[in-house]
Amino acid sequence: MKKKDQFKRSIKLFWMFLKVNLLSTSGPASIGLLYKESVGTIMTESQFVEAVGFSNLLPGSEALKLALFVGYASGGYIGIIAALIGSILPPTIVMLALVSILERIKEQTWLQGFIQGLTPAVAVVILMVAWDLFRDGKKQNYRTIVIALISFIALLVAVPSPLVLFGAGILGLVLLR
Amino acid sequence: MSALLDLFWLFLRVNLLTTSGPASVGLLFQETVGSLMTGAQFVEAVSFSSALPGSDALQLAMFIGYSVARIPGALVALIGTILPPTVLMFFGVSILHRLHREGWMVRFITGLIPAVSILMVFVAYQLLFSDSQSGLGWKTILIAICAWLSLHFKIPPPIVLLAAGIAGVLIF
Repeated sequence: MKKKDQFKRSIKLFWMFLKVNLLSTSGPASIGLLYKESVGTIMTESQFVEAVGFSNLLPGSEALKLALFVGYASGGYIGIIAALIGSILPPTIVMLALVSILERIKEQTWLQGFIQGLTPAVAVVILMVAWDLFRDGKKQNYRTIVIALISFIALLVAVPSPLVLFGAGILGLVLLR
Repeated sequence: MSALLDLFWLFLRVNLLTTSGPASVGLLFQETVGSLMTGAQFVEAVSFSSALPGSDALQLAMFIGYSVARIPGALVALIGTILPPTVLMFFGVSILHRLHREGWMVRFITGLIPAVSILMVFVAYQLLFSDSQSGLGWKTILIAICAWLSLHFKIPPPIVLLAAGIAGVLIF
C-alpha cells in the first residue's frame, strides 16, 4: 500500500513539472508557477523559500535545482527522479522539433534578417541580466567592485573565462569575510 | 568520441562555475563561439531557448550540443548540464544544509557574481561589434535601443526577442 502511494505521488510530481515546464519559458519565470503548484499541496511555504535559497547557492541551472529540491521534499529520492524527468522532457522534445524545422528553413533569406535583428536584442538582454545580477549581489561593497575590476582586466588581456570565474570565486573566499 | 567528451567537459565546467541559466550564457559564449559555432548560431540558440517553453538553460545546452555533434551531442550536453545539481541532490540534503551554513561556499559564489556580470558585458560587446560583418549600423542601434526600452518597461524577454527578429526580417 505504501509503495502504491509513493508511485501515485511520483506520477503527480512528474505531471506537475511537465506542466510547469510547458507553461514557462525560463528558470526565473518558472519559480512563480512552481510556487502556486506546490506550496500548500506538497510542501510548506518555508520549505519552498529554503529551496529557492539553495538553488541560488549551488552550481548548475537554477530551475533544475529548484525542481530537484521540490521533488526531494515531497517524494524523497523517487521524487528527485520524477522531477528530473518532468523537467527534462518538455525542453528536449521542443528542441528536437525545433532543430528539425530549422534544418529545413536554414537557406531562407528571411531567417538571416531575423537573426540579424535578434543579435542586438540578445546583447541588450544579456547586459540587463548582468546589471540585475551585479545589483542583487547580497554583500555588495567596495570588495565586489574590486573583484569586478580585476575580472574586467583579466578578460581584457584574454585570460580564459572559466579561469577568471574560478579566480573570482577564490577572491571571494579571501576578500569577503 | 573525443569531440563528445570535450562537449561533456565543457558543460560540466560551465555548470559548475555558474549558478543560473541566464548567467551561464556569458561563459558559454566565450567557450563556444569561434571554436564550436558561429556568433549567429549562438544568437539563434539563445533566442530560441528563451522563447520556447521549458528551462532555457537546458535548451541552450542541447542546441549547442546538437550543432556540434547532432543528437549524440545534444544528449551529452544535456547530461553534462543536469549532472552537477543531480549529484548534489543525491548526496543528500544534509550535505546541502552544511554547505549552506559553510561560509566558504557562500563567499565563493558571492565572489563569482561580479565576475559573471563583467563577463556578460564582454559578451554583449562582442555580439554587437565583432560579429557583425558590416560594423555597427543605425539599424542595429535602433533595435538595441528599442529592446532596452521595452525591457525597461518590463515587457517579457521572449516577446522582445521575437519582435526584434521580426523587425530584422523587415529592415535588413
